[in-house]
Amino acid sequence: MRVLSLLSADGNTEPGTARLCDVCAEVSAMSGAGIMLMADNAPLGSVCTTNEVSVLIEELQYTLGEGPCVDAHKSGRPVLEPDLADPATLRWLAFSPPALAAGTRAVFGFPLQVGAARLGAMNLYRDRPGRLSDDQHADALVMADVAAQAVLAMQANAPFDTVARELEAGANFHLVEHQASGMVATQLGISVGEALVRLRAHAFSHDLALIEVAEAVVARQLRFDPS
Amino acid sequence: MEGSEREVLLARTFVEIVDTLVDDFDVVDLLTLVADRCVEVLEVSAAGLMLVAPEGDLRVVAYSSEAVRAVELFELQSEEGPSLDAFSTGAPVVNQDLERVNGRWPRFASKAIGCDFRSVHALPMRLRGVTIGALSLFRTHEGAMEESDVIAAQALADVATVAILHHRAASEAQLVNEQLNHALNSRIVIEQAKGVVAEATGLDMEQAFNRLRHHARNHNQRLVDAARAVIDGTLKPEAFDLPGSSRRS
Repeated sequence: MRVLSLLSADGNTEPGTARLCDVCAEVSAMSGAGIMLMADNAPLGSVCTTNEVSVLIEELQYTLGEGPCVDAHKSGRPVLEPDLADPATLRWLAFSPPALAAGTRAVFGFPLQVGAARLGAMNLYRDRPGRLSDDQHADALVMADVAAQAVLAMQANAPFDTVARELEAGANFHLVEHQASGMVATQLGISVGEALVRLRAHAFSHDLALIEVAEAVVARQLRFDPS
Repeated sequence: MEGSEREVLLARTFVEIVDTLVDDFDVVDLLTLVADRCVEVLEVSAAGLMLVAPEGDLRVVAYSSEAVRAVELFELQSEEGPSLDAFSTGAPVVNQDLERVNGRWPRFASKAIGCDFRSVHALPMRLRGVTIGALSLFRTHEGAMEESDVIAAQALADVATVAILHHRAASEAQLVNEQLNHALNSRIVIEQAKGVVAEATGLDMEQAFNRLRHHARNHNQRLVDAARAVIDGTLKPEAFDLPGSSRRS
């Protein structure tokens, strides 16, 4: 009930996705939140993010294919990292340093699922280390459930082969990255899937975000072929 | 059967039903379990379950014996019988002596008697005003079914109903999620194709998109299919119809 009143707090009868992520962070008393859609264990994009750090957390996971959302989605269980600077288990070797540098200390991933339908994961982060309290954990589980239901409710009325407009509003489905993949595929005579891998590798080795590399390709400032 | 022994069996049955309720459980398996346990736990000889299909008609879904299946199929074909009544009214139909219901369901009664059944009971599968089917119980011996058996049978029907409604909601979620993934994949393919066209032609993304869309329309193709053809190399950007051209003119 508290969740529902927060969702409609701005008087909006159609809770948009932007509000959804804010509420995810508010309810669980975190610094920020993001909701990531995934398929076949790979991120597709984020539906919403609350601030620049959440954007980065989603972006890193999309670029690197690892992180709390990826693990939460794969395992179907919450993934809890109360101290990214001093983790109990060594994981996310590529994700952790830039996430820490951006101001993330604790990150948590909660799977979004309704029955057997697995949509992706919600991530929560906090700028200081520490475990979730029992209440926060319980609230986060409720929010993950609300978020999953909300995503499906928005998509339920969309025409076939179309992403619901409400879902697109605050979303980042990495369209520029896919455009760049098409261009690089043509430059190198490889598949678009391979091209995306090349873009990711370039981003990683040059310490750039994938989106920066993609934008340079689309702006024709960066080519992958020797010509 | 001793009362306490039955209670233990009944409790075990509920645990067993709950145990089948994993995310992707099979409705037919669940209802077959209910039919079989009705026969084992209650004083009945056979049990069958009908469920309403999306089209609105009832289907025989589970049965403890071939005889019940035959009787229930006959009930649907002849459009008369206790399950249909329980389904349409949402109320139980209990202790119907088949020798004396001739006026109510003449064809059904003679068919059931032909299968050696003497009495029948039908309970609605109902939750919060929605009836999704009916559980019918048949006995080969005379006498009314005990009240406690009727209550236990209704409880089994109720648990199965909750499980099925939950399962349907979950299936619906699965379907919407698949549609969402499909829509997102179409978007991705179109963006990739825009990139291929842009690189091959030197156009910017918007112009590349318009070129792709123009070609798809000219060929009565869906945009996503044209995009896929570009991605897999079967449609070359150089072969596109140019703006202003139309194959149909």
